[in-house]
Amino acid sequence: MADLKPNTHQPLNVVPAGTLRKLSPDEIKPSANNPRFLFDDAPLQELKKNIAAHGVLVPLTVYQAKGQTKFSILDGERRYRCVVDLTKSGHLGADKRPLLLPANIVEPPTKIAGLLYMFSIHNFREGWELMPTALSLKIVMEELGEADNTALSKLTGLSEPQIERCKKLIDLPERFQKLSLDPDPKTRIPSNFWIESAPVLDFAVEEIPTLRQLGRNRSTDKLVEKYRAKRIKSVIHFRRIMDAYDMSEDDGDTRRKVLRRVEEYFLKPELETRAAFDEFVVEMRRTRTALAECEEFVARLQKLKLRYLADDTERANLRDALRNVRIFCMALEQSLRGTDDPDSLSE
Amino acid sequence: MLDYLNSMRAALRFPGYLPQPVTAKGVNQWMKQFDPSDRRLVGRLLRSVIYLSEAKIKRILLEQNGALMRRLATAGLPPQNLIYVQVHDAGSSSPVMLNMLRDAAGLEQRGCRFLDANNTLGLNAMTNDLGEGALIYVDDFVGTGTQFCEARDFAAKFIEGTFSEFLLVPSICEEGIYLLGERGIEAFTGHVHSKAERPLHDNSTLFDPGTKQRLIEICEQIDPIMALGFRRIAAMVVLYRNAPDNIPILFRGNETQMPFSGIFPRTTDLPLAEVGI
Repeated sequence: MADLKPNTHQPLNVVPAGTLRKLSPDEIKPSANNPRFLFDDAPLQELKKNIAAHGVLVPLTVYQAKGQTKFSILDGERRYRCVVDLTKSGHLGADKRPLLLPANIVEPPTKIAGLLYMFSIHNFREGWELMPTALSLKIVMEELGEADNTALSKLTGLSEPQIERCKKLIDLPERFQKLSLDPDPKTRIPSNFWIESAPVLDFAVEEIPTLRQLGRNRSTDKLVEKYRAKRIKSVIHFRRIMDAYDMSEDDGDTRRKVLRRVEEYFLKPELETRAAFDEFVVEMRRTRTALAECEEFVARLQKLKLRYLADDTERANLRDALRNVRIFCMALEQSLRGTDDPDSLSE
Repeated sequence: MLDYLNSMRAALRFPGYLPQPVTAKGVNQWMKQFDPSDRRLVGRLLRSVIYLSEAKIKRILLEQNGALMRRLATAGLPPQNLIYVQVHDAGSSSPVMLNMLRDAAGLEQRGCRFLDANNTLGLNAMTNDLGEGALIYVDDFVGTGTQFCEARDFAAKFIEGTFSEFLLVPSICEEGIYLLGERGIEAFTGHVHSKAERPLHDNSTLFDPGTKQRLIEICEQIDPIMALGFRRIAAMVVLYRNAPDNIPILFRGNETQMPFSGIFPRTTDLPLAEVGI
């Protein structure tokens, strides 16, 4: 649980003033993170069109690592990508010469400044492989002595749920972390595996005596074994177990049955997730009810014609209430993200 | 008699090839697999092989590493901030190259650090600990550069701080230089293997079209898929420890050396009995 101390950190001075030069794309080193995954194609195409017509108007910020001839990018990765693509396609500038990039050359950033820049890049993409981000977040937390989710969110630009997920990865034993750091994607355990399996392990190890005896780590090994045997076809399927567990809260018999099935699921590597838990899941009916509730809620509010409320207090109360609804809906929407498609497992 | 002299001469050019020594008798037997009318062409192709012996590789690595260390020292990076990284791509001799360099250049005594590219947690911790420095990848040969770049791209996400990146490699194909350049990695090498110096490459005019075509046909008869090596690189570099998988197949021969045996088989091409298992 994050503590509630306020964020006392001042914004970091990431970019000291530098000298301005025009660089060719060849003189610049792109980010170490694979750019193919970083940016949405449509906005990038728009920017490329703009650069094709007017050139690069806003200078990049670059630095030169010691010993390196090329300049590394601190800010402006998208502009750089566009110019590289345009150059490859033979596009020339208005002066009929190859495109150049104006760049402010600054001193190499401090470790923390570099890390924060890395976060700004990762934030461009949903579903970015989380383990590198988690390890970087750990360094930020250690260097700044900051553990509060809100403060970390402000510093890194990561959302609080993302930070919570990263923290789960940071807390994993090193041997499990290494499984997500396998260079071979075929044998790598996706970071999501740990995040999605965590709530299952939480209750299973606490409530099932056999698993309590086995301990959390060895119970985790059982799940890894099952995953490798392809009996967990999608890590999202762990949610079916949680659904079965949550829905049996007020029904002692069903809860006992669910716990017995969970025990069996852990101990029998061949038992597949959906085969084991689908009988408990009444997801479809609940989803339909929820969809109807959403439509009805919006329709009722529309019917009340609230747009021109005059009373200040009433308006403030309503705004507070709507804000709470929004926060709840956003959190719910965020937790429903992900896919059941096994092919989308590789992050 | 002339054939035997040619075989002798060929064998002397390739001393110490490890998976299977190159002898005059071996060259002669290898040659006899070809049609007599093709042997002159094959001999010509064999003469175009660029062989890197152990001594030569050691000299290149030492010289290039010396130049790199001097440059980094001038830039303000002492040996303690240099991390030498071995890269495991399929068939790579990267660890062997790094060990050779480490011992010959006294890197350990100078305080340099060493790491395996697969050890991403270690890379993360070490770069975080140093904050700035240089990552020096060491490999034996880079062809297209795809395998090297895949390993590097995965590891690079875990680098913290400001690190320049270099590759120390005895020989690299020009395709590899391009791919590395896209990532801002500078290669320190003793030999850039251009397309022009690879007689069977599409972009080479070293051999007349007829000779080139006939040699490609021979390769395709041996193995239509790997005829000119992985990704049709048609590399002509052979290292004393192993031939790259990008060389024309007539040099390597078929897997298990049947039906066609090569003059430079890779360790994995040899039947198990011949590699002592």
